[in-house]
Amino acid sequence: MSLVLQVLVSGLAAGAVYGLVAIALVLVYRLTGIVYFAFGDLVGLAVFAALLVAAGTGPVTQTNVGALRFLAAVFVGTAVCVVTSAGGYWLAVHPHLARGSVVGWIAATIAIAYAARTSIDVFFTRPSYAFPDPLPFDEIGNGGFVSVGGASIQVRAFVVIAVGFALAGLATLVLRRSKLGRGLRAIESDVEGAALTGVPVSGLITAAFGLTGGLAALAAVVAAPSSSFGVDAGSLLGVKALLAALVVGFSSPIAGFIAGLGVGVVEAGIANFHVAGLQLGPAYHEVLPIAFVLVFVAVRALATEGGAALRET
Amino acid sequence: MAGVAAFAETRDAVVEAARDVRAGWTRPATVGIVAVAFAALFPLLPLGVGLNRLASDLYLAAAAVGLGIIVGLGGMPSLAQGAFFALGAFGTALLSAKAGFTGVFALVLAALIATLAGGAVGLVAGRLRPAIVAVLTWLIAWLVAIGLASFPALSGGAQGITVQASVSPTLAYELGVAFAGVAVLIFALLAHSPVGAGLSAARQNRAAAESLGTPVARLRAATFALGAGIAGLAGGLGVFVAGVADAGAYGPLLSAKLFIAVALGGAVAPAGGLVGVGVLVVLNRVVELVGLESLQASRIETLLVAVTILAVLGAIDRGLLPSLTDWRRQRGRSDRAVDTSVIARVPVVDPVGLVAHGLTKRYGAVKALEDVDLELPGGGVHALIGPNGSGKTTVLRILAGAVPQEAGTVAVGGEDLGESGLRQRAERGIVGTLQATAVFPELTVLENALVGAGLRVPHASVPRAVFATPKARRDAHAAREAARSALDVVGLGGAAELRADELSGAAQRRLMIAAALATQPRVLLLDEPTAGASLAEVDTLANIVRALRSSGLTIVLVEHNLRLVSRVADRVTVLEAGRTIATGTIAEVAEDEAVLGAYLGGGRF
Repeated sequence: MSLVLQVLVSGLAAGAVYGLVAIALVLVYRLTGIVYFAFGDLVGLAVFAALLVAAGTGPVTQTNVGALRFLAAVFVGTAVCVVTSAGGYWLAVHPHLARGSVVGWIAATIAIAYAARTSIDVFFTRPSYAFPDPLPFDEIGNGGFVSVGGASIQVRAFVVIAVGFALAGLATLVLRRSKLGRGLRAIESDVEGAALTGVPVSGLITAAFGLTGGLAALAAVVAAPSSSFGVDAGSLLGVKALLAALVVGFSSPIAGFIAGLGVGVVEAGIANFHVAGLQLGPAYHEVLPIAFVLVFVAVRALATEGGAALRET
Repeated sequence: MAGVAAFAETRDAVVEAARDVRAGWTRPATVGIVAVAFAALFPLLPLGVGLNRLASDLYLAAAAVGLGIIVGLGGMPSLAQGAFFALGAFGTALLSAKAGFTGVFALVLAALIATLAGGAVGLVAGRLRPAIVAVLTWLIAWLVAIGLASFPALSGGAQGITVQASVSPTLAYELGVAFAGVAVLIFALLAHSPVGAGLSAARQNRAAAESLGTPVARLRAATFALGAGIAGLAGGLGVFVAGVADAGAYGPLLSAKLFIAVALGGAVAPAGGLVGVGVLVVLNRVVELVGLESLQASRIETLLVAVTILAVLGAIDRGLLPSLTDWRRQRGRSDRAVDTSVIARVPVVDPVGLVAHGLTKRYGAVKALEDVDLELPGGGVHALIGPNGSGKTTVLRILAGAVPQEAGTVAVGGEDLGESGLRQRAERGIVGTLQATAVFPELTVLENALVGAGLRVPHASVPRAVFATPKARRDAHAAREAARSALDVVGLGGAAELRADELSGAAQRRLMIAAALATQPRVLLLDEPTAGASLAEVDTLANIVRALRSSGLTIVLVEHNLRLVSRVADRVTVLEAGRTIATGTIAEVAEDEAVLGAYLGGGRF
């Protein structure tokens, strides 16, 4: 029971961030038909931009950071992701979309991903970094961990989960209720019809890129102090989010979020799995979820019924 | 004596092959031969360039050409080519260093494993939307990279797996030249075969290619296997040059780089991957020469490459080589005038009857068809007419196997067609022109017809096309002849080398008929061939349909244009709101009260 609690809390905290990136991926796919492979890397860029503001490029000596400086870091990180995701779309992806070139937009999104990844590499050359924490979680319990019925649980994880759910709720609210959301739904069902009825298609799609990219970056920056991370963190985040989006067939943003939570919990479960002497351990926790999803998609594709969202017509 | 006969046979085969090569010789072939000869003699120049490094670049280029086959021909944008490269590299290293196989045997076995793995991925990817294929293959690239990093027992950890390097730099380089050259040749041979025409067609419009009988899923799986196998071989060869298989070298970055190279050079051009890798290598050397090494060269380089790619791709969308071809084509266009007035006769086929019974179809709550019967004697033109929404096109789509009926049966020549789909019906000789305009715009007119002719090629498969076996070459000749004569029937024989999107809308509709004819059908289904046609064009179409009727074909014609119907139809069925309201000769139907009611709202005209 205690293990289940530990897996759930740490899994949901990681999964909330995966899920927010998945929201961005699914929404953009439904609006434009493209998969923006760069989202994870741009969120990674945002986290490192925030780190630059909070602590600079050197080793982090202080264990926490002033609230004001942290807020400035959150703002800069989020702004970087909003600007780069929307700007990357306009500069590099939109031209291919207009020409209907699949090879073009895939190459462009991948190139953006590597441009983001390498921009981090140039300034941050160490294998791993720790993000200073604005809140004194370290002072709660045993170095930030409390023991619940034998399970060791990071207190910080609850904050990350709460922020993640709040942001996902905000995204859903905006998509369901606001004028922006109505416009986006119109584009999703019929681009040409929406354009004819005066919906500013390009502007709204750019806004969708910025909004979802910003929310994902915000969640990632809030989650960043939970553990140390390397320059690869953003790329891996993108991969997890793609897993979540693929498993729900890019069907709806909220389904993507839930699948992201699922990926987080499954990962944590595999990492902590030991029954009757059999232990999978951390080496499997990234490999197995990917393998599961690949097999799942293969089965859906080869079956004669269903899977219409994935299948070419 | 047996030896003499075998010798004569071999000699004939060689002479025939030489004749084929000469007949099919093009300017790109000359350029290719000169390039390979120059590259092979390059080490003789006293330049002191590191051949080992060039060799590695050439293996990478071969892998990119393999990816070009998957992306450009197969239409599957794979981001996993680096994973198959890694499979070949680690397969070779493990088999030779750990399992004790000899180098060459380990290499071949590893390439075979990569081929099989590629075939398995292709079986799935060939059915998915391109965007989903990209996601799936990207995840495969990460799975392999993370797997290699997580399990040092398999990958040798940070040191990698060392292999006894027994290849001299010159040999490694010459192997690279030969390998890259052969990869481009394989791509070109495949692209110009009937199989290649079918694959390119499926990339542009899958449903239309399937309606002409192209076995898309099977051909795509084979294409993926071929491309992945080339990557596996390239990875294995690379291990022998480097002397080590190092997991760090085969991350997702390698897959991304190969994809970007293909996009840059042009996915549809056989040498596109080669040119793309060439551009990346030149960029890399420029960064070194400028002396950015002190500034973390590898990092700056990736950034520079990414920015360059974005700029270049933004400017030339289809890649360098196809843009060059487009430009030359545009310059040469004015020289070609097309005479489309000649219409040839069609070879005679045995007439076969078609009987449909009780066809019923609903779309949601809307009843599209209710209990429709059709009885067509073998041969002749049977027109389906009726107001918009009367269900004519639905009948045609059911006959073609594009949509299943809810109730009712369709039989051709007394044989029940059951629930067979587009492709199976095309094989049985029931072929139609389905959508408004469904030509394959990027193929030439001849290649469009070739897609249809591919259905009757008895030995159509990717391996045969790649090895250009005598059987495959004979089949290709026959398919080309069939395609040409189908073009002659619709009067497009003179336009064979034009791109399909250079034809007028009316000529494109005739091309669709030619592609359907090239499948050698027994029943031809025509969906509004006159849409958007001029009066003169309607008369030309009438001549074509009459020529087809005289050959014994059974033709079902859905048509609004009564000028065409009155000229060619032997029998007419009138549908209204999903029901048959009259059947008979055009004169009989014109007297029918119900028909007059439907068309004129009662009374006589």
